[in-house]
Amino acid sequence: MSAFLSSPFMHNIFAGLAQGIIYSLVALSLVIIWQSTHVLNFAQGAMAMIATYIGMTEIDRGIGYWWCVIISVMVGMALGGVTERVLIRPLYGKPEINPIVVMIGFLGFLEALAAAIWTSTTRNITEPFSQIYFKSNGHLVFLSSFIIFQIVLAMGIMLSVAALFRFTKLGLQLRASALAPEVSRLLGVRVSRMLTIGWTLSAGVGAIAAVIIASGNFGLFPTDMDGIFVASFIAAAVGGLESPLGAVAGGLIIGLTEQFIVAYWSPDVAPLGGIIILVIALMIRPQGLFTKNTIRRV
Amino acid sequence: MDWLRSLTRQETTHSRLLAIAFLTVLTVIITFFLPPVADSQLAGGAAIAVVVLGLSWLTGWSGQISLGNSGFMAVGAYAAGIWARHHASTPLVFTLVLAIVIGGISGLIIAIPSTRLHGPYLAGMTLAFSAAVTPLAQNFTSVTGGEGGLFMNSLVTPKWFLHFFSGPNAAINANAQWSADLAVVVAGVMFFFMANLFHSRTGRAMRLVRDNDVAAELMGVNLARARTTAFVVSAAFAGLGGALYSLLQASVRPETFPIGLSITLLTLMVLGGIGTLSGAVIGGIIYAFSANLVAHVNSLTGVNPTSNVGANMQGMIFSVLLILTMLFAPRGIVSLKNPLRRLLRARPVTIAAKEVH
Repeated sequence: MSAFLSSPFMHNIFAGLAQGIIYSLVALSLVIIWQSTHVLNFAQGAMAMIATYIGMTEIDRGIGYWWCVIISVMVGMALGGVTERVLIRPLYGKPEINPIVVMIGFLGFLEALAAAIWTSTTRNITEPFSQIYFKSNGHLVFLSSFIIFQIVLAMGIMLSVAALFRFTKLGLQLRASALAPEVSRLLGVRVSRMLTIGWTLSAGVGAIAAVIIASGNFGLFPTDMDGIFVASFIAAAVGGLESPLGAVAGGLIIGLTEQFIVAYWSPDVAPLGGIIILVIALMIRPQGLFTKNTIRRV
Repeated sequence: MDWLRSLTRQETTHSRLLAIAFLTVLTVIITFFLPPVADSQLAGGAAIAVVVLGLSWLTGWSGQISLGNSGFMAVGAYAAGIWARHHASTPLVFTLVLAIVIGGISGLIIAIPSTRLHGPYLAGMTLAFSAAVTPLAQNFTSVTGGEGGLFMNSLVTPKWFLHFFSGPNAAINANAQWSADLAVVVAGVMFFFMANLFHSRTGRAMRLVRDNDVAAELMGVNLARARTTAFVVSAAFAGLGGALYSLLQASVRPETFPIGLSITLLTLMVLGGIGTLSGAVIGGIIYAFSANLVAHVNSLTGVNPTSNVGANMQGMIFSVLLILTMLFAPRGIVSLKNPLRRLLRARPVTIAAKEVH
């Protein structure tokens, strides 16, 4: 058994899952925003990046790792809420291209701002858990405490988001205003507040992903989240942008595919793998693999 | 200026040809009075204007959005570069036509799965494409030259053109201006094609597709085919622009075509005015002289241009302009002439009813 766990195949499985879970987190955050306001937030990655950078400047002042995580998530959430109020709110009811363009402008602004303040070199956080692979009977098992921490943290966040949507009053209001804003408004739900909360939540989830990346081997640089965003968008689109479960599954699929392309071909071809998966998925089910294409009863 | 406007608004091919030829010749004459540095900047701006025009057609006329046009530029540039490596003495026109064709074909490949998609899906898909192009160019080293890219012969100034120049740097100055004039003429030809496309049957069908796809389908327009056509034309323009751009630089490198370039193209299109010829011209001019603008802002604010902030000033200014334009004047600089005229006439302005969500 341990020989199997130390095989290159399992190495790729573990590494793919570790990368995929990050895509899943960002894809989930894209789905939350998509469901609340029907905007694909192109600046999602950049917003998470800048929140994490602010957390990292605090860690330089000597605060602990968990404080950095908390600060990054808080900043991310605040940024999400403000963005919805200031940049997205004026564009409801306008052509669907307008919010896309504005968020792309915001993406460019945040990346240039981060590079202007913190330079474009890579920064990373000292990770709270070791990245050294476990050993069993003298064989390396390609899992480290950090990978387990990363997967557990991401799963924890996803489950809490699911629980929030499923079991709380706020979650019910969020779902209702996404599904039927007019009816919800008549029933006394503050729909516009729900939209802001949706963005806030989503930006918080995104910030967690950026913190994990910054804690990992390679650290974080201002345009780092571009690639993550593309992979996560593909993950969310494969799942159908409507389905949180689909986004999570899509993230893992993309992560594993990229890892196997990297291992058996070249890292430069990996982005093409994502596109091919997206094309195939859209050919089979244009509305996404995980969405019900029936008319929903309200 | 009324006569000029009436000239560019003409409805027949003949008068469009006259108007665009007139403006092209005017620009060429202007290049004789510009310093060589400004000529080189103008040449780059002309190449980018062609790409912006292609994007503007896609967004303004068919209602689709693409973040992949930097990728199509790369495809056109590499097509020209790879061809030039094996056939050094090909006439320029052939190289450019090759870039158009290869650009168009790459557009077709991306369009077939994409055109069933609407707004956000399409934007994401094309973003994924332009994100994949740079690593791919780096990977297939034997064809693309990898990280270092490919070198091309720089444009050769003909003998007769040298007669206009004198002084110690005559040859260099002549080359800078010849490149600029060539780029302006190529851009003029492409603008003429696009002006005709705007007024053609396809152009009219496209506007209907954008505004009301159900009505378009009832009128017998094949939606998928119309959207694919729009995409292919846009990619072909980007391919030509990319090839022209790298011919001016005499090299093709992967890092010339980052995702950021797609964002720049989008910014130029929105700033100028989506879906208009003059908007693309304005976009090209802004691109050409953006370095001067940024240097001016740096000196006004006292920022050191070689510092971190100075190096990222252009990115910040462009992004803020993109956001502000989209929020407050979504039809770009071109649309500002109407409020300006109204202001001059001092007529009471009716306040539009505020849109309630």
